[in-house]
Amino acid sequence: MPYCVHCGVELDATATFCPLCHTQVLDPVQPPDTEAPKPFPTQRGEVAPVSKQELALLITAMLACVAVCCGILNLFLKPESGWSLYVIGVAAMLWLWLVPPLLARSMHLLLRLLVDVAAVGLYVYLIALDLNGQSWFWGLAAPIILWGGAILLLLGLVLRVYRRSAITTLTILIGSLGVFLVGVEYLIDLWLYSAWDPSWSLVVLTICVGMVIPLIIVRRIPSLRAEARKRFHV
Amino acid sequence: MPEKKAGSEWYRLDNAGVLYSALQKETYSAIYRFSAVMDQPVDRQALQRAVDKTMPRFPTFRVRIKKGAFWYYFEPNDAPGPFVKTDISNPCQPVRFREDNGWLVRFYYYERRISVEVFHAVSDGGGALVFFKTLLTVYLREMGYTVSNTCGILDVDAPPRLEELEDAYGKYAQGKGRRAPKPGKAYQNAGTPEPFYTFNVTMGFCSVLQLKQKAKEYGVSITEYLTAVLMKVILDKQHREAPGRELPVALAIPINLRAWFPSETLRNFILTARPVIDPSLGEYTFEEVLHQVHHMLRLNMDRHKMRAELTGNVRFTKNRLLQIVPIILKNPVMALGYRVAGVRPYSGTYTNPGAFVVPPEMAPHIRRMEVILGQATIPRVHCASISYGDIMEITFAGTQQETDTERDFFRFLIRDGIAVKVESNRTQ
Ligand SMILES: [Zn+2]
Repeated sequence: MPYCVHCGVELDATATFCPLCHTQVLDPVQPPDTEAPKPFPTQRGEVAPVSKQELALLITAMLACVAVCCGILNLFLKPESGWSLYVIGVAAMLWLWLVPPLLARSMHLLLRLLVDVAAVGLYVYLIALDLNGQSWFWGLAAPIILWGGAILLLLGLVLRVYRRSAITTLTILIGSLGVFLVGVEYLIDLWLYSAWDPSWSLVVLTICVGMVIPLIIVRRIPSLRAEARKRFHV
Repeated sequence: MPEKKAGSEWYRLDNAGVLYSALQKETYSAIYRFSAVMDQPVDRQALQRAVDKTMPRFPTFRVRIKKGAFWYYFEPNDAPGPFVKTDISNPCQPVRFREDNGWLVRFYYYERRISVEVFHAVSDGGGALVFFKTLLTVYLREMGYTVSNTCGILDVDAPPRLEELEDAYGKYAQGKGRRAPKPGKAYQNAGTPEPFYTFNVTMGFCSVLQLKQKAKEYGVSITEYLTAVLMKVILDKQHREAPGRELPVALAIPINLRAWFPSETLRNFILTARPVIDPSLGEYTFEEVLHQVHHMLRLNMDRHKMRAELTGNVRFTKNRLLQIVPIILKNPVMALGYRVAGVRPYSGTYTNPGAFVVPPEMAPHIRRMEVILGQATIPRVHCASISYGDIMEITFAGTQQETDTERDFFRFLIRDGIAVKVESNRTQ
């Protein structure tokens, strides 16, 4: 009979490792029995994956209904302006945000962000088409949307790693907000004056940095971190 | 709430059943498993015949669950089955009400092991053990042995009796009701979740005699001793993690009410005791934990307190306001209520249905009994034990990767001089 050298418990004759501490069974005199049946079946029971189709269907129906109703109303109310296209655009965007993640069981973060950013881009592009605003769309709106998407992607990846600590999450969120706004001003300046003249965004960035520094210090010093946890229950 | 309608067969869920069905999700069901390891490999055909003969005797198990506008209800299930299946490595998977012909009981076999899994809204461990013992009797008769209908085995040829079908909570809900005061948050003992549909089971086997002697040395019962070991191990684990503030460690211990309120119901009839140790008061030695557990468990075994609590629970589901809330709104609210009152205040569950006693002519055919509590709503380990003859079987099961709790628990027993054999379905 094999025993775990760490735990002192007796193990099954077929065991190759201790299920309590994962120590391997190494007995040159009596290697693990590979013939006898294992104490538990080895075949996994697969059950049909979780279906969120019903919820997806419900959301689809609600959004489609809103789009159709507004389209019909538009025929009678200010038919010359085509305002309902804006509502329909929002419905389409919400659909792209909500429904694909429900249907795909596990959607990759990158793919999901790509779809979400593309949906926003498409919506703004349609508005630009309606308002004859091709130039501001390509010059300003599209770069800002892409910049926002890139920041979000970075945020998603970083938070996936550091999800455990609330202080870290807060630090990263505030920090990325500041960085995002600096980028926004840079893009606006570039489009309006073709030169970068940072002003308001630097103020915002300074405020963000000012908020982040104490958080980093608190995180770095264990006694302060424990104290913050205690007081704020984070 | 409409009571049983004349001419039709449907009936309401009992109080615990209402809760367990409200928690039901695609990824989670309140479910548990009992297994018997026989002396011979299992004969599948004989087991299926035994299931077919036993199910009609237990109408509360031969049901499907249906969603009404305001509440779930049970109705007789006349679909084919339930069928005996080859066992799987990940037991206690969630039930889905619309799959598997709506069966809420499942039967498996593997080598010498016969297992039955029961959705908790159908019955508690006490009722399920009567069902399982009767099934094993019928199985052994199918194998050609003679077994008498003693030791709580029901006669499958007799019609079901009304006392077995009663809602015992409703029967004893009288007088002043009292809902237990809301307990505070306990240490959660949660680990890293495994991917969906992985369920880790580790069983330890030890001698009842050795345990009894050890418990006697301390002047406590076996259940109290094992409860205290589990609490001490979790207390030490939290201490090692060095959190800013150590939370109390509390266990949920289901109490079979049939011992206090005469009832032969095969449906739910349990309440939960909550032994708790607060480490912020100082470091407790094992003897101190044991002393506390010993007295706390006994202090709560009071007929009047228990009746007041179950009355309070029943009043709650009979609340007029709650009754008219549609089920799709009620379920999330009740699930949230369970998180606050049934998950947060506990570090884990430990249940010990006691000794499995069979007639002497049956005893040589069963080697040991096993019990598994299904997954918790969060990735943490649940503990259950059952004894048969001289074998005490203790299971730790959960959806977390870590093995800390069971490792420390069994190491504790070894250090206390109790020999333990361990088996697991873990593959790494
Ligand atoms: Zn080990």
